[in-house]
Amino acid sequence: MTHVMKGVRVLEVAQFTFVPAAGAILADWGADVIKIEHPLRGDTQRGFINMGGIAVDKDRNPLIEHPNRGKRSVGIDVSKPQGQALLYEIAKTADVFLTNYLPSVRQKNKFDVEHIRAVNPKIIYTRGSAYGDKGDERNVGGFDGTAFWSRSGIGHSMSPAELDGPLSQGMMAFGDSIGGMTIAGGISGALFHRERTGEGVELDVSLLSTAWWAAGANITQLLETGKTTRNSMPTSGGSARNPLMGNFRTSDGGTINLCMVSPTGLVRDAFEHFGIPQAADDPRFADVHKLIENAGAASDLIVKAIGSKPFEYWRQHLKTMKGQWAPIQSLQDLTTDEQALANDMLVELESADGKPFKVVRGPVQFNHEPLKTTRAPQASEHTESFLMELGLEWDRIESLKASGAIA
Amino acid sequence: MKPGTKLKSAVCDTEVMVIRGGDVVVECGGSPLVEERPAVRGAITPAFADGTKIGKRYVDAAGTVELLCVKPGQGSLSIGGVALKLKEAKPLPSSD
Repeated sequence: MTHVMKGVRVLEVAQFTFVPAAGAILADWGADVIKIEHPLRGDTQRGFINMGGIAVDKDRNPLIEHPNRGKRSVGIDVSKPQGQALLYEIAKTADVFLTNYLPSVRQKNKFDVEHIRAVNPKIIYTRGSAYGDKGDERNVGGFDGTAFWSRSGIGHSMSPAELDGPLSQGMMAFGDSIGGMTIAGGISGALFHRERTGEGVELDVSLLSTAWWAAGANITQLLETGKTTRNSMPTSGGSARNPLMGNFRTSDGGTINLCMVSPTGLVRDAFEHFGIPQAADDPRFADVHKLIENAGAASDLIVKAIGSKPFEYWRQHLKTMKGQWAPIQSLQDLTTDEQALANDMLVELESADGKPFKVVRGPVQFNHEPLKTTRAPQASEHTESFLMELGLEWDRIESLKASGAIA
Repeated sequence: MKPGTKLKSAVCDTEVMVIRGGDVVVECGGSPLVEERPAVRGAITPAFADGTKIGKRYVDAAGTVELLCVKPGQGSLSIGGVALKLKEAKPLPSSD
C-alpha cells in the first residue's frame, strides 16, 4: 500500500474524536502516530458507557477504533515535570504536534507552541479547538454537538421551521470526523510548505470553522441577498422551481431523491423512466425554461408516477436513467451497497479480543489501493516498547515510573 | 524475570513483555513461562485456559509483577496457582 506519510511522526496530545481523527487519517496514510494518554485514565472517550444510548463493549468501542486505529499509545502524565521532559524528548523526533487541549491547559502543562518549538523549531504545531485560537472564547471548549451543529447555524438550517424546535446533530462524531479530515488536509499542506521552505507553521482548525465552511454557500448567499433557506418538512414532490429536484415517495413508503440541478438533455429520458413518456411531448415542459415555469404541474405527474410502484422497483429501474438520483438509504443499507464496497469503504481489522472489527476508511484513496490498518491501541499499550525504541534505558523507565510520569 | 525482556508460554501462543518482575515464576496455561518455546508444546491446564488478550497488562495482587501481552493465546497467567489480574486504565465515566 502507498504510504504518502511514510517517515512522518505525529505526536498527538489529544482526546475525544475531532483531533484524534486527524491522527487516524494520517496513520491511515502511513504516519507513525504516537498518541499520548493519561497513564491511569486514558483517553476519556475510552470511558463511554453508551454511544447514542447503546451500550459500548470497551474492547470493541467504535468511539476508540474510528479515531485511533493504526496508532501507538504511550501513557504520560504531562502535568508532572518529568512527564513534560519526556514529552519534549519525543517532540524532538516528531514532525507534527497535534493537540486539542485548551490554551490554559497547554500553558499550565507547558506544551504550548513556545514550549514545543523550543525543542523543535520546525515542528508543525496543530491546534484543534471549538471556536478558534483567537478571540475572547479561545479558552472555551466544545464538542461537535455544540460548536459544529448548534452554534454554527447548521442545526437551525437543517431543521424545518414547522418543527417544535431544532433537530439535534443525530449522529455521533459527525462534525468531529469532518473536522479531523480537514486537519489532516491542513497538515499535508503544512508538510509540503516545510519541505519547500524549511519553515514549520502553526495550524488551527475549529469545529466552528469546519461547520462554516460546510455552510459556506448558504452563508455567502445570505450575505449577498439577505436571504437563505432552511430545510423544509418532508413532502413528496419537486421543488418550487425544478420538478426534477426533490424527494418522491414510492408506493410502499420508500423515498427516491431526484437531483437534476441542470436538466438540459435529461428531461425526456427522465419522463420515460418514470413511465410517463407523453410528458416529454407536453408543450408545458418543452424546454428547461418552460419546465421551470410549470414546475408544479410536472411535479404532480412525477409524484403520481413514482407513487405507483414500490421502492425496490425504482431502485433497480432508475439505474439506467441519465439524470442524477439516489434511493434514500439507511446506514444499514449502505453497509451492503455494492458500489461503496467496490470502493473499499469498509476495512476489516482485528480488535483486541482477536475478533474481526470493521471501520470506515477516510474519504481519500491513493492509487486505488484498499486501506490496511490495525486496531486502536489499548491505553498506554506501547509506553515501554516505544520508550525503549526512543533509546531510553530501563533504569530511566523505572525512574519515570517511580515519579508517576508514566505508570 | 528481567524488565524489558520477552517471555513465551510453553503451552500456547501467548508472549509477554516483562514490565515489572522479580524472582518469581509466572505460569501461563499452568506451565512456567520460557525464553524459548519447546518444540513440543505441553497441554494447557484447564483451570488456566481463560486466555490472554493482546495489549493488556496483567499484575499480581502484591503489585510486584506486571506483564504486557504482546501476543495472545489460549492459556492464562498465574503465579503459584493464583491467577494474575488485568490492570486497566480507569477512564472517566461518559455517556450520551
